Parts: sequence; C-alpha cells; structure tokens
Amino acid sequence: MLVYRINRRYISMKDTTKKVYDVIVIGGGATGAGTARDCSMRGLKTLLVERFDFTAGATGRNHGLLHSGARYAVTDPESAAECIKENIILKRIARHCVEETGGLFVTLPEDDLEYQARFVEACGNAGIHTDILDPAEAVRMEPAVNKNIIGAVKVPDGSIDPFRLTVANVIAARENGADIITYHEVIGFVKEGNRVTGVKLRSQKTGEISYQYARVVISACGIWGKHVGELAGVTVNMYPAKGALLIFGHRVNNMVINRCRKPADADILVPGDTICLIGTTSTHIPYDQIDHMEVTPEEVDVLIREGVKLSPALAYTRILRAYAGVRPLVASDDDPTGRSISRGIVCLDHASRDGVEGFITITGGKLMTYRLMAQWATDLACKKLGVDRPCLTAEVPLPGSEAETDVEKGRANVIGLSTEQKAAEGRHGTLSALIPNEKEYDDALVCECEQVSVGEVKYAINNLHVHNMINLRRRTRVGMGTCQGELCACRAAGLLNRAENCASRSLHDLANFMNERWKGMYPVAWGDTMVETQFTSWLYEGVLGLDSGDGHHEELPLGPVNAMEEADEEEPQPAQF
Amino acid sequence: MEQEHNYSHNNFEECKKCTICTVYCPVTPVNPDYPGPKQAGPDGERYRLKKPYFYDEALKYCLNCKRCEVACPSNVKIGDIIMSARIKYAEGRPSLRDTMLGNTDFMGTVATAMAPIVNYTLGLKPVKKIMDATLRIDSHRQFPKYASQRFDTWYRRNAAEKQRQFKKQVAYFHGCYVNYNYPQLGKDLITVLNAAGYGVQLLEKEKCCGVAKISNRCVKEATRDAEINVASIRKAAIDGRMPVVTTSSTCTFTMRDEYPHILGIDTDDIRDSIMLATRFLYDLVDRGEVKLAFRKDYHEKIAYHVPCHMQKLGWTIYSTSLLRMIPGLEWIPLHQSCCGIAGTYGFKKENYNYSQEIGAGLFADIETKDPDLVATDCETCKWQIEMSTSKHCDNPISIIARALDIEETRRLNGVEPE
Amino acid sequence: MKFDTIIIGGGLAGLLAGIRLLENGKKVAIVSAGQSALHFCSGSFELLGRLGGKFVERPFEAIDSLPAAHPLKKMGRERAEEYTRQFIDLMKRAGIELHGDPERNSWRLSPVGLIKPSWLTLPDHLTFTNPHTLPFGSAAIINVYGYIDFYPQFIAAGLSKRGVKSVISTYDTPGIAHLRKSSTEMRSSTIARVLNDEDLEEIADQLNEKSRDCEVILTPAVFGLYSEEPLRQLRDLCDRPLWMVPTIPANVPGVRTQLMLRERFQRLGGEYLLGDTALRGDFRNGRLKRIYTYNLGEMPLEADTFVMASGSFFSNGIRANMEKIYEPVLGLDVSLHGGRTQWYDKDFYAPQPYEKCGVTTDDALHPSLLGKPVENIYAVGSLLAEADSLSEMSGAGVTMVTSLHAASEILGNN
Repeated sequence: MLVYRINRRYISMKDTTKKVYDVIVIGGGATGAGTARDCSMRGLKTLLVERFDFTAGATGRNHGLLHSGARYAVTDPESAAECIKENIILKRIARHCVEETGGLFVTLPEDDLEYQARFVEACGNAGIHTDILDPAEAVRMEPAVNKNIIGAVKVPDGSIDPFRLTVANVIAARENGADIITYHEVIGFVKEGNRVTGVKLRSQKTGEISYQYARVVISACGIWGKHVGELAGVTVNMYPAKGALLIFGHRVNNMVINRCRKPADADILVPGDTICLIGTTSTHIPYDQIDHMEVTPEEVDVLIREGVKLSPALAYTRILRAYAGVRPLVASDDDPTGRSISRGIVCLDHASRDGVEGFITITGGKLMTYRLMAQWATDLACKKLGVDRPCLTAEVPLPGSEAETDVEKGRANVIGLSTEQKAAEGRHGTLSALIPNEKEYDDALVCECEQVSVGEVKYAINNLHVHNMINLRRRTRVGMGTCQGELCACRAAGLLNRAENCASRSLHDLANFMNERWKGMYPVAWGDTMVETQFTSWLYEGVLGLDSGDGHHEELPLGPVNAMEEADEEEPQPAQF
Repeated sequence: MEQEHNYSHNNFEECKKCTICTVYCPVTPVNPDYPGPKQAGPDGERYRLKKPYFYDEALKYCLNCKRCEVACPSNVKIGDIIMSARIKYAEGRPSLRDTMLGNTDFMGTVATAMAPIVNYTLGLKPVKKIMDATLRIDSHRQFPKYASQRFDTWYRRNAAEKQRQFKKQVAYFHGCYVNYNYPQLGKDLITVLNAAGYGVQLLEKEKCCGVAKISNRCVKEATRDAEINVASIRKAAIDGRMPVVTTSSTCTFTMRDEYPHILGIDTDDIRDSIMLATRFLYDLVDRGEVKLAFRKDYHEKIAYHVPCHMQKLGWTIYSTSLLRMIPGLEWIPLHQSCCGIAGTYGFKKENYNYSQEIGAGLFADIETKDPDLVATDCETCKWQIEMSTSKHCDNPISIIARALDIEETRRLNGVEPE
Repeated sequence: MKFDTIIIGGGLAGLLAGIRLLENGKKVAIVSAGQSALHFCSGSFELLGRLGGKFVERPFEAIDSLPAAHPLKKMGRERAEEYTRQFIDLMKRAGIELHGDPERNSWRLSPVGLIKPSWLTLPDHLTFTNPHTLPFGSAAIINVYGYIDFYPQFIAAGLSKRGVKSVISTYDTPGIAHLRKSSTEMRSSTIARVLNDEDLEEIADQLNEKSRDCEVILTPAVFGLYSEEPLRQLRDLCDRPLWMVPTIPANVPGVRTQLMLRERFQRLGGEYLLGDTALRGDFRNGRLKRIYTYNLGEMPLEADTFVMASGSFFSNGIRANMEKIYEPVLGLDVSLHGGRTQWYDKDFYAPQPYEKCGVTTDDALHPSLLGKPVENIYAVGSLLAEADSLSEMSGAGVTMVTSLHAASEILGNN
C-alpha cells in the first residue's frame, strides 16, 4: 500500500513575516489552488492566501459537472474545445474527484429536434464524441430520464467534486513546498512605485494585520477579483450572474441529463456523490450582493418546474437544500441574461494593461478550465520571474489520484472494506490510507448519512486545514446528507473541540454551523424538510440549549475565546434569545 | 405546480435520522456485526443507489421482524428496504441449506410421508451433528415434529363433505405448519368456525406463503408460489365471495404485505380479504352476528406473546380481545419482545446463539410469570418458546376451541347440533 | 370496534389522557403511528420556561401574562395547578418519580454543558436553583469508553464556568467492548440494553475508583431503558451522588418514560395500537363517528369522544406541502396561513412561526372543521396552535395541562 506524508497544518504567521515569496496567489478556489500547485511544481516559492476557507466562493457553489464541452458547442465553440481537453486531462489526473457517468442531451416533445443536428455537428467540430441514441435506448441507459423524450445524444459528461479537487490541489502545492494561509483577507497591497511587492492581510480570527511579500502577486479571486483589483489600483469589470441550484436527497439519475437546446434555466441534472442537483438559473445581481446570496421562492419554483421535465422523479424526491453561486464573468457588453458572454478565460497582465508591475489577474473561465487558467497565470508569472520550466499539471496526478483504489479495482468487498471505508476511498482516493484506525472507535460513524468515521474526521482536522465545522463539511461531507447535520454536527463539534480545546468557541461554531445549514433549507422548508428542521431544532435548541447563532452565517471564523463567552449561555436575565 | 409535497415517494428518504428504529432492533445489542436498521436500511440504501458495491453482506443478520417499521414515526419501510437490498444485491445463489430451509412445503411433503422416521432421525444426536457440520444447521435446534398425515389429506377424507353443508363459508389458507406439522390447529379452526355457523373450504391450490423462501433469497420460487396463491385467493375471495382466513400471523403478513412490497405482486383487490381467523371471528362477535359461549369448567392462566409480524399487522387486538372474552381465562401480560427465531433464521448455525440471546428476555419473563400456557399466533415463535422455556405454546384458535362450549355456541348461532 | 374514547397519538399527550380515562373506568384505545417524540425528551418537563426571551421563575404566575389564544392561557392558572398535581400523581402511579418544585423553575445541565430552565425532572438528571453555582465543587465526568454522543469537554467547560473542577475519564464493560465492534450502534439506547445484562457492581467499582477525589459523578444517561431499577441499584452501589447527563438523539430516560407510561396504559386495559396510522374519519351531524386506520382496514374504530394528540410536524400531526399547512387525518382547521415564506424566520434560533402552527380550538379544546367546532373531539398537546414549545419551553406543560383537561371534560360530560 502506498503511504504518503502530508505536512501538518498551516504555517505560523510569525515565522514567515520576513520571507519574500516568488509568488503570492490570492484565492482558495479551484483556480487559486491550481495556480499555487502549478507555481510550486515549477519551483517557485509560493504562498496561497484565502480570506475564508477553500472553495468558499463559486468553486463550492456550482453544479459539479465535468463538462464534456457539449453544452457550449453551439454557442461558444472555443469554450467547448477547452472543456473537452480538460475533461480528458481531469479524468487522468483527478480520478478520485471525478466520476465518468456519461451524459445525455435530450430533446423534449416541446423542443425543436432540429437543434440536435446542429448540436451534434458543433460537438464534432469541437472534438467532442457524440452518439445519437434511440430515445428508448436512452431511457434504458438512464431510467430516470423523462420517458417522453424524442431525441437523445450521449456525450462524455461526468461529475466532479470541486471540494475534493481544490483540496487535492492544495495538498499538491503543499507537497511542493508552498505555504498556505486561510482565514486571512487581503485588505491592501504593498507597493513600491508602480510595482506590487506584497499584500496586507487581516486575520479573520483576531483582526491582526500582517504583511507578506512576493515578486509577483496573482489574483485568482473569481468574482471577487474586481474588488482585489481595486485594492491594487486596477479596474476589472466583473459581471455577477447568480445561478441557483437545488440539491435532491439521493441520486435519482446516474448519468448527467442535459436539455438539448440553447442553454436556459434549470436544464442540467447532475448526479454528484450521494445526491443529484438541478440548475441553474441566471440572474444579474448588483456587485455588492455577491456575499449575500439567497435563493428566492421564484427560483425554487423554476428549478422544480423545469427539473421535473428532465426527470419526472424529481416531483417526488426530497429536496435537501437550495443554494446559489456567482459566475465570474468578465463584462463585455450589456447582455441582461449573462449567457451570451463567453465563459472564456481572462488572464490580465496588469503591467501591460494598467502599468502596475508584478500583478496578474486570472479570472473568467469555469471550474472545468481551472487547470488551464492556472497554467496561463503561472506561465505569465514565470515569464515575469524569468523562470523557464514546463507546466506538468496535465501529466502528474493529483495527490489521492496516483493509483486505482480498492474500490475502483472492484476489490472493496473482496477484502471486506466497511461502508465508511468505501465511502472514504471515494472521497480521498489513495490518501484514505492515512485515515487513522488505531483506536477502536476510529471506525465509529460521526456522519451516518454520509458515512464519515471518527478516523476520517481526525484525518481532516490534522491534515486538511480544518478550523471549523464548515471546513470539516467541505473536506468530508459531514452534515451534507439527508439530515443536514441533525445527527452528526454535535458529534463533529465534540471531536473538533478535542482538537481545538476551547468549548465555548466550538459550541459557537456548532451553533453557527446549524444556522448555515438552515440557510439552505428554509427556501425548501416544506414536507420532509420541515419535519427534519423541527426535529433538529428540538435537539439543538431544546435539548442541547444552543440559542444564538450569528448573523454572518456562512463564513464567520472562530473568534477568540472571550469574545464568545456570552453567546452560548442562557443567563437568568436579561436572557438572550 | 409539481413537487407539491417534498414528501418522498422514495420511502427511504422519509427517514429523519431520528434513530428511534435502533432503539427497538432486537439484533444490535447482541450482534455488533449487524449495522442496525437505520444504517442497513435508509442510510445504506442511499449509498447502494449510488453504487451497488456499497451493499454490505452483514444485512443477512436482519431478522426481518419489522419492529423497526412499527417503531418508525416517519413510516419508513425499513425492513422492506433491507430485505429488498438483500435480494437485489447479495452475491451468489442461496446455499443448499438456505434453499432447504426455504422450501418448507417440499421438505414437508417428503417428511410427512415418512414422519416417524424423519422425526426420529432429526432428533438423533449424530444426525444433528452431521447437519451442523455439513449444512450449518445448529445442532442445538430442535426440529418441529412432522405429522403422519397431512392436514389437506385429512380434510379431503374426513371433513370436506360436511363443510359443504354450511350456508356461510370461508376459505382457509392453512399454511405449511398446519399441513405438515400440526394439523390439529386446522381441525380446531374448523370446530370453532363450524360452531359459529361457518363451513371451511380449502383453497383450490395452496403453496407455501413464501416467507422462508423470501428470507433465504429464493425469490423466483417464492414468486412462482405467490402467484399460485394469489390466483387461488382471488378465486375464493372475488369469485367465491369468501373471506380467506388463516391461523398464522406470518403467512398472513407475507401474503398481504411482502407480496406487493418485496415480490412486486399486486394484491390490492384481495389484500383486505386475507385475514387471521381471530380477526374474522372477533368482527363477527363485535357486530353481534356470532355469539360465543364458553365452558364453565375451563380455567387457565394464559400469557400472550405478540409475534413480530403480528405486531406489524397491528392485529394483536383481535386475538387478545377474543381470548379475554373467555371467562375462565386468567390474563398474564408479557413484555413485548422478539423471541429471536425469526422463521428459519434461528436454525442457522451462525445465528443460533444470537437467536437465543435475543429471546432470553422473553424466556425469563415467561418463566417468572409462570402461566399455564403461552398463546401466540405464530408457529415459529411457538417452536422457539417451547424449546427455550418449560411452557407449552398454543394458537389462540386452539385455546378457544378448548374453552368453547360447543353445543351452546352452536345453539346460539342457530347451527344444528351434530 | 367500539370504545368510549379513541386517542390518536401515543406520546405524552395521548398516554396522559388515556391513563386518566382508564383510571376512571373508561374503555380507551390509542392509535400511534410509530414511536413518539418523548424519545428525545431532555429529561425535564417544562411548563413555561421563558417568556419574551426571559427566564420565567414562577411558571404558574407567568401563565397570566400569556396571550389569550395560548392554550395555557385558555386553560388558566388554576387549572394548570390542578392538572400539575394530577400529573405528578399519575406519573407516580406509573412508577415515574418527578423531582422539582412545581412553583418554581430551576436549571438543568444540557448535554453540551449549557444550562436551561427546568421544571419537573426525571430522577436521573441533575437540577439546581442557582444558575451561577452548582451544589458541588468537583465532579468526575465519566463516559462510556468509545461512546461519541457524550461530550465530556463541553460539560467540563460548563462546570468550570460555575467554579466546579472536574476530571474526565471512561469506564468499560465486556458487553460494551463487544458492542464497540459496531461502527454505528454505540448508541445510548443500545448501550442501555447491553448494560441491562452487565454487572452493576463492576461498573460501580470503576465509577467509584475514578471519582475518588470528587464529590459527584456525571455520566451519560444510559441506564434503565425499561425501568428505573438499574439506576436505583447503581446509585446504591456508588460512593457519591450519581447524575446522568441526557444524550441526543435518543435520551434513555425519555424512552423509559414512554415505555413505562405505555405499560401503565396497557395494564389498565387500554388498547395501544402501535405502528398503525389513522387515515380518515366519518362525521355525522357535526360529530366524529369513527376513524379508519391503515392496519384495521375496513373495520373502523368507533367511539363517543376522540382525542387528537397527534403532535406537530415531526409526528405528522400537521404537515406542510409547497402551498399549505394542513391536518392530514380529519382536515381540521390550522392556524398558519399565507405562503411558505411566512412559515419561517431566516435565523435558525429565532422563534419560528411554524412552531406556533397547529390546530385551532375553542376554549374547551374542541378543534374546528371549516370554522365550526366539533364537540366530541378534543385537540391536545403539541398539535395545538399558538404555543411555541421551543422558545417558550412550554411543550410538556401545554401537553400535560390540555390532555388532562380533555380527560376531565370527557369524564365530566358522561
């Protein structure tokens, strides 16, 4: 069995204050993590900084679709061609993050079947393999698809887990010597004349200000790149387009189902890990709303109405939650839908564009092209630094994806892996070998819906930059299942507390976590979700006595101990509620 | 608007992860290899839908007692989910032993033909040892005795003609146990129903209800038998307008619920016609259509054990209410718990100890309360209780037959004296 | 099948009303669709713990300041006092001793070391009158080895805040070691079932040894699923006071309360139809005649009076679909109208409008159907509208007062 060594934890701020990096990458999404990986693999001394947690932005709020590119074939051939190339690369380098489910583009009775011919031709031009299927054959392959379809085309779509993908890139960067800092926001730049030489950081936990220095700074902040650009004195016009999605309780479909028509609302149903999701909508939102996104009842209605057309089973499948992400599109015209804008990659050299040296913005693009974006940004950084090393990110597998797992080899049941071990192999690939099981109760399940064991939680806490419950959820799927944390959140908080050893902080974190779960549940709070919610409230408020979350649900970092003292306690009077 | 409900038709999704089912699973405290109803059922199902390799062989330790379903506040068919998963995902054909244990009617046909030899042989220690070693049927298990004459044979020869003379008729699904092991119960039923003014007909064709085949994953065979039974029941219930009565809670439960839920056989039109004889009789008495008179000299202390499938049927009330109509009967309440045998489960070597551990509480309760007799509606519970306690066990119908003042009852119901 | 009273719902509300009726000679059946929310009881029964977000010290007095539509206000303070006496006695007859002063709320320790108001409490659990101090200076917090639904560090922090020093350790038994092989079933109730057959002396030895320098022992509530006996025995064997900390999701003392009340109900001759679901009812002349259930099929249950004790959303007493909230069995009127966005607050911890949703009744607890009260039905417990059991901490109080009131009315009317 392969054994890996992973550096423990994140760097200490005090040790690094004088260091000058070759590159600082801002942004812990897929692109930032990918860029940090690429830079470090090319021998650059790299620092990755993220204001909250990895995948907290658009990376963690999309379909998780491993595009074949077919969706863009007709309207955006350039993106389509990029997608299929990256699709093939990701299947090779990120096997534990992707699932080759295959995808269908189906034509419903109300759709124009002639579009199919255009679609197939365009796919061919982009290098995307298609099979035109008899509708009955398509229904046999994917029984969840609407039985009334009049046309179907099979394409090499799949699903990709953006959380895993990003963390695998982070681990790779770390293994190549990169430093990683999370929960530090860039609030300004250090400049010497017109040259950017470093960043000014504020700790989200303590408010402490610190500085990090580098010869090149790359902004890989997605939609937030506009703001970061402003801090550096450059203008990047971003176009925030909100996309809402619904998560259903289990896998209704095992192939991606797309609508074979011009891209529109709610026309993709993706099976992702244990669930499936329908999306998206597309709505222009003001830039100041990008940190406060909520799914509206109208969006929920549209998603259900259109989703049911793709797969009628959705009409009677439990909805776990609703969420929305912001597409990082670079504005070029005033299209109100945001769809005709190319999702192409935008790599800005601010030296030539704006006269600001040592600063690069990489944005636009999409999850599928994160690696290519990283390559472009790193190529430019290397050019600036005078480094001539080839990009190897398309050839070297990501940590966890170096070899087939026992599950992939079909040996899982032969060697008697437990359910949680099989699930963990799926989540961490070969790195699951690092999950401890020396204690008897390391196998005990923390999250029963998602089969996350005590050992896996320990592994995540010790190795994957976990500071709070939300981080833990993203690394392991704790709290992502049917009960949305009802059964596992408290257990996980108990384990995190053992690591952090600060009860009031951990309880505050727990209270916060439940509120973050609720944020995705209230847009769909009827039926089973309503029941689950009531039950969860009984336990967490009624029995445990948690009584105060905090307004800033999503990304409030854990604060210092004393600041939280009042929040978790019921005082006789005046009582807080 | 579609999605009016967000109440899932995928029943496993209605699970709210409240864990109440796990409080009532009889297996988990004795066998840590069994993942428990929540994990084996709804939680596991979600993963199995993702990839079949998430199937866990330990699901075989499920008793199929359905106590989880009875306890579930969200109406999740946990037991059905587990049983369906075993059928769908378990690898390999059922073993020779499982096939033998599943084929209760084939084994019964052979055994009753040679009853004395079989009973003698199955009781022999060396034979038991061989069965233990070769078939992994536990040597501690006592086999039920086989009768020397099958019930259906007896019926045709001795009862059929007389039964035809009644104006009102019911059909009787006797099941394997009455047919091969204990025909007396069938005879008792005829006595009781005759006194109430009803003749008893057999079904045109009867096969084993299939409970043992289902739990041993012999699904094809179970389905074939079920279809024959359903056709016969349909004939009796719809064409013949006769209710179809039974004397086994497990057969009843299997035909009413496992046929549609596990085997996918539609029984909507006949489900309500299949009922335990105690339900049938209680309803007649309750509505004043039948009167029962009991013997003054009948005195017994009776404890009623609720079989798991009886609890699932929700029909305990009929058997206990009927029994409690008997003036000379002293009622001893028992703690409700599983006896542990679960049909053929407790015969298997790998389960025998667990089976006895599960039942231990019940056995102790029975011994402490020391009734004259334990009443129960399930034949395998009867075997288990008789093997594991000092008490004899009987079906409520047999007890009623003994306690009934036959002549007076016939008179009350306008039946000619014999 | 004919009864004097049929009760839909077999949790605390249904059982209290049922037992009271049986004790007065009525013939009663309970239809219970699965097990009840009592399984998640914190071990404390609360009458009224909070009002307007503030701790209530004297719960009876506080009833006066409730809004008129609140079930407790409808019942009134005097009745609440009377039914409390009945409740305590009834529980005692079922073998359940409650401790606490009904006139005054005290405090309890939550599973994560926070404190919450408590009123009448099961004997397992610790209560105290001063929220800032505890009646001891040092405690041994002793977990079952390998049990992850107990949080010693959180409890220790809660104690430390009140000046109590604590030491954390674990105990183990052969049965627990066996159970630990399971990755899923180290649950409170399963542990309790395993411990039922274990040597209590051996456990007490470990507890005594590990609490040598402490005044009290705190351990997860995993003793006595079927009766209080194991708890009593263990306390006798321990050298110092032994208190149980409640657990989630199932709290063993809560499960035991359910089982003991049900046993009392059945011993009194009540029919408890567990796992059966009431489907619909037949009305004649504005009265409910009979109800049909899933298991009993064509054979309905008839009664003179009916008690709806079917609970809130969790127990399916009321349900919500995308458009409306409704009572699924009889179609009784419910209180909350407006679209689904009106049902919730975006803060999980704020009082949630849906918690107040339920069946509307007149002052005598008769629910209404299309605006008209049905005289032979009583609606009780958490099915009732206008009480927010969570933010008011009034769940058990509303349940106890209304169900005993319904029983009284039924007894008085005949």
